Amino acid sequence: MTVAAGIGYALIALGPALALFTALISTKPFLILTLVSSTLLWLITLIVLSALWRAFLPFQATQFGWSYFILILTCIVFQEAVRFLLWTAYRKLEHVLNDFADRVSKPRLYLTDKMQIALAGGLGHGLAHGVFFCLSLLTPAFGPATFYVQKCSQMPFFLVSAMIALAFVIIHTFSMVIAFKGFAEQNKVDQLFVPIVHLVAGMLTLVNLASGGCMIGIPMLYLVALATLIYCGKMVFRSLTEVQSSQGNSW
Amino acid sequence: MAQNPKPRSIIESLGEEIVRIITPVSICMFSVVILVSILNNSESSSASITSVATIAYSEDSSDSFWDKFEGALLNSLVFVAVVTVVTFILVLLFYLRCTSFLKYYMGFSAFLVLGFMGGEIGLFLNQYFSVPVDCVTFLLVLFNFTVVGVLAVFMSKMAIFVTQGYLVVIGMLVAYWFTLLPEWTTWMLLVAMSLYDLAAVLLPGGPLRLLVELAMARDEDIPALVYEARPVLASDLSPRENVIPRRLWREPRSGDSTLNENMTTRSNVVPNVNAVSRLESSQTVGSIVNAEEGQGSRGISELTAPLIEHRINVQMHLAQQAVETENLVLEGIGLGSSGAIKLGLGDFIFYSVLVGRAAMYDFMTVYACYLAIIAGLGITLVLLAFYQKALPALPVSVLLGVLFYLLTRLLLEVFVVQCSVNLIMF
Repeated sequence: MTVAAGIGYALIALGPALALFTALISTKPFLILTLVSSTLLWLITLIVLSALWRAFLPFQATQFGWSYFILILTCIVFQEAVRFLLWTAYRKLEHVLNDFADRVSKPRLYLTDKMQIALAGGLGHGLAHGVFFCLSLLTPAFGPATFYVQKCSQMPFFLVSAMIALAFVIIHTFSMVIAFKGFAEQNKVDQLFVPIVHLVAGMLTLVNLASGGCMIGIPMLYLVALATLIYCGKMVFRSLTEVQSSQGNSW
Repeated sequence: MAQNPKPRSIIESLGEEIVRIITPVSICMFSVVILVSILNNSESSSASITSVATIAYSEDSSDSFWDKFEGALLNSLVFVAVVTVVTFILVLLFYLRCTSFLKYYMGFSAFLVLGFMGGEIGLFLNQYFSVPVDCVTFLLVLFNFTVVGVLAVFMSKMAIFVTQGYLVVIGMLVAYWFTLLPEWTTWMLLVAMSLYDLAAVLLPGGPLRLLVELAMARDEDIPALVYEARPVLASDLSPRENVIPRRLWREPRSGDSTLNENMTTRSNVVPNVNAVSRLESSQTVGSIVNAEEGQGSRGISELTAPLIEHRINVQMHLAQQAVETENLVLEGIGLGSSGAIKLGLGDFIFYSVLVGRAAMYDFMTVYACYLAIIAGLGITLVLLAFYQKALPALPVSVLLGVLFYLLTRLLLEVFVVQCSVNLIMF
């Protein structure tokens, strides 16, 4: 894979994340710190999961389908539990920040601030996924050839993984916003939406195990990402118009 | 979203100083990773250098596990011993008030690093990219570059951006040379230096602690190469003015020991500093500090203070053995007179060495170690604000980095590759 192609794949996976970063996060140092800590946290979850599963890897060919199913199930359950813990930590952080704002006579956290912090946290999750599942496999592969996977031979492996990574970046980023909003407002629908979407997305990648499965799996994954995006957009739009009309804080 | 301009929210300015110090650290690490991945592909990795760090044992890839381990341990012990001796000499010189000698030595070190090491790396890059440039031009450009660099770290009248840039370049060059050491030696060295740092700063007889106490008793600055972040002009948030200077002094040996100097020891000069935490506004402290230190000229003199270091001179004449003397960069995290964070160059160097070494294995370890180091840096800053006493800056980051390197290499990589290759992702 040439360097140009490698950069292309990296940008496919992380381009929108980079755009989000430059537009929203790079001007606010606190969000940069949130992003970095969030990425670190999700890296730690990945390490813990890999520690749990290390003894069972690599899988033998006979156990393929079921083992991956259990793997994904446990990983997603664990990550959702961590997301809830992240929410409780964020709650405490919000109190600290509001106290600090009072002390230095600045306005308390606006609604948009809270959503931006959630967005930065979600972007950290997406970034951790994109970097470790896609980007870190690109660099050893620079050189004269490329790599195709047997089961998905239409495109080079790197392109497929970049596309999947892009979908997951979108899902993770906006799920965090939805989840935080759901936890704040005690809205059951929102709270359940995120784990279900994560689970569905994870299971959809199981389709890639079948030969030629990625032709179906990836478009459906993008449908899920689109659904997350639209749901988040509607939710945010609704709450912003509510605030504007009522001048109150809804969080 | 509001029609009238609403006041700036706190998240727009909180954490700015931390970001301003993380950015150059990241740039330095990133450059070292790029250099390592470009240059170490083209030459064989067995071209290791003989230096102070390898006199006890020269690593050979055919040795057994225990041989390598013991050899690396021996190397690091020798290194730490040399560094200790040099730091004590440094303390002695400082005690005898030979500051101008130290100052000139620092300028000389900067000249050697930029001129010779920079020149060699420039030559490697020329070779690799086949840049069409002749000797005379190259020499001229290199000489000018070096001289401007020496002036930048020496004199205070330079634009701060130029000084910062040159400090990052110096850190990058020294770190690159350290990555040329054999693998086991490098890792043991990093761990040994962190432990040494811990001891030198916290134990009552530690050289760095003595140095800092001397400097504080005399109310002078320790001559060192420190990176000073651009001060945040806090128009609305004055917490920047809080001065809890912490200086992490590294030993001369590629930035060893870091010492956190607590400004509270300067309590005779600035009485209010103790009680002030980072996040609280203290206009009075700020003004006292500024008044006492002048228009930032004090900060600049800190910056240009002589660097006490061992120089690492690597002579790359293939005929001769490369002899290394270490370039010691005093490092430290502290707050300059204008309230900006100062970080010693040795920290830059050791972080970059860790990440550069991780880059020699795979980029996944690079990302993991990068996150670990930044987290360690953040934790150190928080601990400093919490404990308000001298704390070493290196141990947390380096030990976290080494831990994450091992975890990633042993656990995460297999897991992620297994999942990714089958296009299973979550």
